Amino acid sequence: MKTLRIFSFFLAVLSLSGCAVSLPEQSKTLLAMDTVMNLTIYGDTDDTALSRAEDLIYELEDLLSTTDEQSELYALNQGESVTLSPPVRDVLDQALALCSDTGGALDITIYPVVRAWGFTTSTYQVPDRDTLSALLERVDYSQVHLTGDTLTLPEGMELDLGAVAKGYASDQVAGLFRACGIDCAQIDLGGSIQVLGNSPDGDPWRIGIRDPEGESAEDYVAVVETADQAVVTSGMYERNFEQDGVRYGHIIDPSTGYPADHGLASVTVISPSATLADALSTALFVMGRDRAAEYWRSRDDFEFVLIGEDGSITISQGIADSFSLAGEQGSLSFEVIRR
Amino acid sequence: MKSTKFWVILLAAVLILSLAASLLVLRGRGGACACVYQDGRLTRTVDLSQVSEPFTFTVEGPAGTNTVQVEPGRIRVSATDCPDQVCVHQGWISTGVFPIVCLPNRLVIQIEDSPPDSNLDGVTQ
Repeated sequence: MKTLRIFSFFLAVLSLSGCAVSLPEQSKTLLAMDTVMNLTIYGDTDDTALSRAEDLIYELEDLLSTTDEQSELYALNQGESVTLSPPVRDVLDQALALCSDTGGALDITIYPVVRAWGFTTSTYQVPDRDTLSALLERVDYSQVHLTGDTLTLPEGMELDLGAVAKGYASDQVAGLFRACGIDCAQIDLGGSIQVLGNSPDGDPWRIGIRDPEGESAEDYVAVVETADQAVVTSGMYERNFEQDGVRYGHIIDPSTGYPADHGLASVTVISPSATLADALSTALFVMGRDRAAEYWRSRDDFEFVLIGEDGSITISQGIADSFSLAGEQGSLSFEVIRR
Repeated sequence: MKSTKFWVILLAAVLILSLAASLLVLRGRGGACACVYQDGRLTRTVDLSQVSEPFTFTVEGPAGTNTVQVEPGRIRVSATDCPDQVCVHQGWISTGVFPIVCLPNRLVIQIEDSPPDSNLDGVTQ
């Protein structure tokens, strides 16, 4: 009896110390868009928000999938004339604007080339030069013209919205949460993270940036403190294969048809727009360090963290005061690019 | 009698083994790491056990520049713009006992055996 009393005393102390300041928390894990998603909301909120967010994500997945035969994108890629639903139209508008703004470093018509490399099916191969140059002739985002809400792709052209779909879904979920009056939430769509407000303890959220050389996401090289931003990373480690001693990454440079190879191992983009962060994490990877810095100077709506294959870290000025190393490595520092 | 001796030896063995184990664990990753904090943020790490050639780097803060000198196994602030020069007078450090602090520049150089524990809300990948 006495033991029981002592035990329950300890339990009481434990539970008190654990819950002293925490806000009510609800979360949901789902599998969609080929990844694991975690949605977490804090505070006294509408308890339908999470299930509505889940429905929204599945709906976008159905519309934007390149492999689902029922999707609008699939029909477009079959050469059909398609009247676009408002979300598809919206993603496409945003994506095309970014293709143009990045000078084609992002190109949503790269799909046939990505498939030739086997990145869509995981049956990897190095295509020969003739195959690539033939496929590259069909790669040109500027040939995609909407007439009203109807789109027909030029012959042989195919779209892949993989570089923006998760970001777009994240922005839509964030919008839904805000409309429900939620001001503290974390939307983690397979490592593309968007946060609302500050973290539940009132401080900025602390988001780790994965070590490109690490075995898992538990290995991170740096931490960004942030509020009301999306933090999205594209890395060579996500999908790649090795053939004849050469490692080929899944981010294809639309100007060459070969994997982007400018010495970068990962690119992280921080922006209030997850769509922008998602698209630019790919585009800056294609650009490489110097062009990425130049591009950053042309806009004021994002910041970046570039990690080189040699382990070097370059960040943009706007996050210099919220960026810190994780201290996991031996000797490390970083360079700040200024405007 | 015999059994008492057995227990004493066993206990001694356990004690020695656990001491050895805790030493191993506490010494950890081998080699001290100098962590440079600016305004509380870790901005540079130097593995002092891996330094073969001396080198210097500079740190910019609100009161100006600190020049930091690194030699195998030790680190110091060799020059600073700030008026009190406290960090320079502190000289070389090679253990985690006293960190080098430059208050005007909000700079702390601390030698640590294991990486600082940072609570994360998520990891982007």
